[in-house]
Amino acid sequence: MEPEYKSKYNAHLIKVILVLIVLGVGGIAAQALFIPSDFGEYGHYRTGAVEDEINRLVRNQTNESCLKCHPFIKKIHLGGVHKTVSCEFCHGPNADHAVDEKKIADMPVKRGKDIKTLCLRCHNKIIRARPEESIKMIAMPQHLEEKRVQTTHICNQCHHVHAPMKWVIEAKKAHGLIKEKEGLFPWMN
Amino acid sequence: MDELKLSEIREEIQKDRRAFIKNVLGGTIAGSLLMVIPAGAMEFPEQIPGMQDETGIFITRKKFAFIVDITRCIGCGSCCVADKNEYKVPEGNYRTWVERYIIDDHDNVFVDAPNGGLDGYTEPREDVPNPVRDTFFVPKLCNMCEKPSCVQVCPVGATFQTEDGFVLVDDKRCVACSYCVQACPYSVRFINPVTKTADKCTWCYHRVRKGLLPACVNVCPTHARKFGDLNDKKSEIYKIMRLPHIISVLKHGMGNKPSLHYLGLRREVV
Ligand code: HEC
Ligand code: HEC
Ligand code: HEC
Ligand code: HEC
Repeated sequence: MEPEYKSKYNAHLIKVILVLIVLGVGGIAAQALFIPSDFGEYGHYRTGAVEDEINRLVRNQTNESCLKCHPFIKKIHLGGVHKTVSCEFCHGPNADHAVDEKKIADMPVKRGKDIKTLCLRCHNKIIRARPEESIKMIAMPQHLEEKRVQTTHICNQCHHVHAPMKWVIEAKKAHGLIKEKEGLFPWMN
Repeated sequence: MDELKLSEIREEIQKDRRAFIKNVLGGTIAGSLLMVIPAGAMEFPEQIPGMQDETGIFITRKKFAFIVDITRCIGCGSCCVADKNEYKVPEGNYRTWVERYIIDDHDNVFVDAPNGGLDGYTEPREDVPNPVRDTFFVPKLCNMCEKPSCVQVCPVGATFQTEDGFVLVDDKRCVACSYCVQACPYSVRFINPVTKTADKCTWCYHRVRKGLLPACVNVCPTHARKFGDLNDKKSEIYKIMRLPHIISVLKHGMGNKPSLHYLGLRREVV
């Protein structure tokens, strides 16, 4: 008589099928658990991620938002050559200073030597940036030597930080170097 | 939820504030409507024309491009400061930075970027032995590739390209495996040490969606950074791209098709 190789009960088959079913159900459950429902709506990503990004807080604002609350600075700043320069670069982001029309914390203000460093970031001839035509550059200390003052002078002693040519033009007017209504750009200082 | 246009909502509000609120509370207008209005859309000036009417999940009528004019950059680092402030980027990481290139008359190229240009460039470089032929600054940021390799390699769908062409990172899904950091040909990606996820420049997607310019573009004092809509015939971007300027992209041969273009780029720049 031949030995019986086959099991009568197909137990081995049933075991394999059971394992497959468990794995399948487990897989589907894991997928439902770990893949968010909005995944793959438009591509291989979560649609909510786009919304999250859109809702990120805007921390830097425009100059207009500063000027709303600073009418005095507004008059000076918009009348000068710095009218396009960002308030927030020289000071700090709006979000740390004003929220919902209310001041929440002090705005940083540079003083003394820090002002010179600040001005020279944009007006430094010595680093030989190319675009002399887009912005006027000066060299230190030659700029002060030309004006025959001590080289310890800080920019804001002669230049109004918010309208750098304001005092220069006023001084020239006072000395009769330019006429009252004259100047290179009388509306701009 | 997406069908209601922002302009319609505005109209509704203008017509009768009280009735509008009543409607919202009463459920005539879906309560979730308030979530659709981009937070604070109305409190910002519209720097990008027509942007505040784009209220769908994606921008549909615009195709954005970024142009950096090398001939105008003065290396002041305003952009870096604005970027740091906008995102509170941790110390030592940069979403955007400004490199200084110096080329001497022997064709040697010297590149440096102390602190990513965040403090500006206040001192000339002392270690250039020969007379300098040209000095210029190259701002770097995300190239927003049309065929982004970072998206291709992400195993969990955390970095992706939106239908309007922006490449973004989902920090809830990112597992910080750094594949994308390795894959980016422009090295704009890093692992943010605070969130412990991949991070990079997004061209300020959240600002753009509210009609504001990217923070770096907004502060640039010499207008070296330009951002705009290629579909808008009145935009500066459109005009520049149509003029016979020298316009190039970085690492053209990689085939990533960047939407970031450089004006007046020297071939020495990589
Ligand atoms: C070029 C850089 C620069 C820009 C641009 C700038 N500021 Fe200033 N601001 C300064 C500096 C520097 C001081 C400190 C002046 C001083 O001490 O003489 C100052 C002072 C001030 C002060 C007075 C604070 C105090 O206690 O003295 C206010 C308010 C102010 N700025 C607001 C603004 C606003 C609003 C804008 C934008 C419209 C702006 N600033 C743009 C550099 C700047
Ligand atoms: C919601 C109104 C509001 C907005 C917006 C606002 N400020 Fe102010 N700011 C104030 C008030 C109030 C003070 C304190 C009174 C004062 O010194 O005039 C102040 C003070 C300042 C000071 C002096 C230092 C200090 O904190 O006391 C500076 C500098 C300044 N603001 C700059 C700015 C800049 C730059 C912006 C734009 C990013 C801005 N402010 C936006 C209301 C505002
Ligand atoms: C963020 C860059 C930036 C900073 C910082 C900055 N400026 Fe300016 N400055 C400009 C720009 C831009 C102009 C306008 C150039 C133009 O329109 O021709 C300008 C113009 C000037 C001018 C007039 C030059 C002319 O056209 O005759 C003077 C003077 C000046 N700035 C002085 C200063 C002083 C002083 C400081 C420091 C308080 C300073 N700037 C800080 C960007 C800057
Ligand atoms: C002693 C006063 C004084 C000081 C201090 C001073 N300046 Fe001036 N600056 C002037 C005058 C006056 C002019 C106008 C020059 C002219 O009309 O010939 C001027 C012109 C400029 C210009 C325009 C240059 C041009 O080519 O038209 C810039 C930029 C400038 N200053 C930046 C600065 C910076 C930055 C500092 C600080 C590091 C500074 N100034 C300090 C008096 C001063």
